Amino acid sequence: MRLAFILSEIGSGLRRNVSMVVSVILVTFVSLTFVGAAGMLQMQINQMKGYWYDKVQVAIFLCSEGSTAPGCATGSVTPEQQQSLNALLESPAVAQYINDFQFESKEEAYKHFKDQFSNSPIVDSVTPDQLPASFRINMKDPEKYQIISETFSSQPGVETVIDQRQLLERLFSVMNGASLVAVGIAGVMIVCAILLIATTIRLSAFSRRRETGIMRLVGASKTVIQLPFILEGVIAAVIGAALASGTLWAVAHFFLGDYMSRQYPDTAFISSGQTLILAPALLILGASLAGISSLLTLRRYLRV
Amino acid sequence: MIRFENVTKVYDQTARPALDSVNLEIDRGEFAFLVGASGSGKSTFLRLVLKEDRATSGAVYVAGQNVAKISSWRVPRLRRGIGVVFQDFRLLPQKNVFANVAFAMQVIGKSRSVIRDTVPEVLKTVGLEGKEHRMPHELSGGEQQRVAIARAVVNRPGILLADEPTGNLDPTTSMGIMGVLDKINQNGTTVVMATHDDDIVNEMRKRVVELKNGVVIRDEARALYTSMIPVVGQSRRLKDASGREAHDDGLPGEGREGEAQR
Repeated sequence: MRLAFILSEIGSGLRRNVSMVVSVILVTFVSLTFVGAAGMLQMQINQMKGYWYDKVQVAIFLCSEGSTAPGCATGSVTPEQQQSLNALLESPAVAQYINDFQFESKEEAYKHFKDQFSNSPIVDSVTPDQLPASFRINMKDPEKYQIISETFSSQPGVETVIDQRQLLERLFSVMNGASLVAVGIAGVMIVCAILLIATTIRLSAFSRRRETGIMRLVGASKTVIQLPFILEGVIAAVIGAALASGTLWAVAHFFLGDYMSRQYPDTAFISSGQTLILAPALLILGASLAGISSLLTLRRYLRV
Repeated sequence: MIRFENVTKVYDQTARPALDSVNLEIDRGEFAFLVGASGSGKSTFLRLVLKEDRATSGAVYVAGQNVAKISSWRVPRLRRGIGVVFQDFRLLPQKNVFANVAFAMQVIGKSRSVIRDTVPEVLKTVGLEGKEHRMPHELSGGEQQRVAIARAVVNRPGILLADEPTGNLDPTTSMGIMGVLDKINQNGTTVVMATHDDDIVNEMRKRVVELKNGVVIRDEARALYTSMIPVVGQSRRLKDASGREAHDDGLPGEGREGEAQR
């Protein structure tokens, strides 16, 4: 009975305050979308780092069938060539710059590729044969990349030497900057949301002061009096958070999944499913923002 | 049922207290009028009973409990034992008669079936049977006050506080309301009614407690609105009690009479 009563109170409160409730929904929607966008950018950065990014800096890709690089005149890399490259890496002239190195076979390359591009249709059209084997090198000093590059580029069996870190780092710094901007905007919007929720709850409490006065007199508990107001704010904020989660999912699904991955098939994008990890966080964030700000407001404006 | 022990209430340190060392006991099942001019402390008295305010000093006991010792989360329970009626009715305009009375039961979590049984019964007690579905604006003032009384007593409180319940009503309607309050009193509820209405007080012949400037200056059983005790003695007692009413001594009779006429 009391639950039904509280629910009907919430319903009447939301109906009476429609315009304010809509504005709370929109403000939380926008602010949480920015929070989520920042989260999505970070997820995308992790996705692009792939298996090797945090472990090595430089990759020496070996020749495979159909390689056109000058070092690949003999076709696919032979075991002997691979042996000599391994020996070169272990030789003191090179070893002094290297912490350690690993060999990635075609099969391993295929496995890591599958993990990174699991969201992309490209994974179905790639076979282990098409992926080059490689030596992955962890440098003592990443700045010394040139030395490795010069030493190995001209070796037979080497297709190319790539400083992956340098390639990605510029992109990542742009993305990190973008997520900082998103967090900044989100911060301002969240302040807006908190103030707006507080104002809404205040108006709502004021427009129902007759009811709350009577409730107080007949001995309604603090919970019964305050809960409808708090839940009003929380419900509005949760709707906003749900809209934000939906928007992020749509961006991942339609923009990244359909458009961007067709434009840039060699880039790994996050899947729409991954953005759903953000949804509970956004819902909790929205609900607690609204709950706390309405609780503080009621303490001042609704005497019990 | 209600006991005031040396209760003083000061709202503003620089002004005189709203209640000044009031000692008063109202027994279970009693009907008492609280009379006195505006500002004499009647409303403060009622607010202290409801624990809407704290007494500055002294102790207020309601149903044997010192209200100062009731923790804030148990105040609702105290208020469930007290019904309150006001001069301005305080009905919810968008709810009908039944819903207005039922509201008092809903908010303390009574079940729907109990509400369905109790509300018509209470409406009958206050003389509103058959008007369950009227809206407040479709009722006369007297009927609205009956709804308010029904709401105040629907949870069967031991005490009913009425703050000038007839202040907005004509004499005939007022007498009808008094009939309802009397009936509720006879059912065992303690009734305390603050009023200016001398006709009603004279008609009912109940206990009268008169307040002036926060001091109890008269407490008589089956009394009239105006004191029947010789005024000279009254003034002397006043002076003893508060020391503020010394000027009354010079003009006995007139001072009391003038007070009563207001």
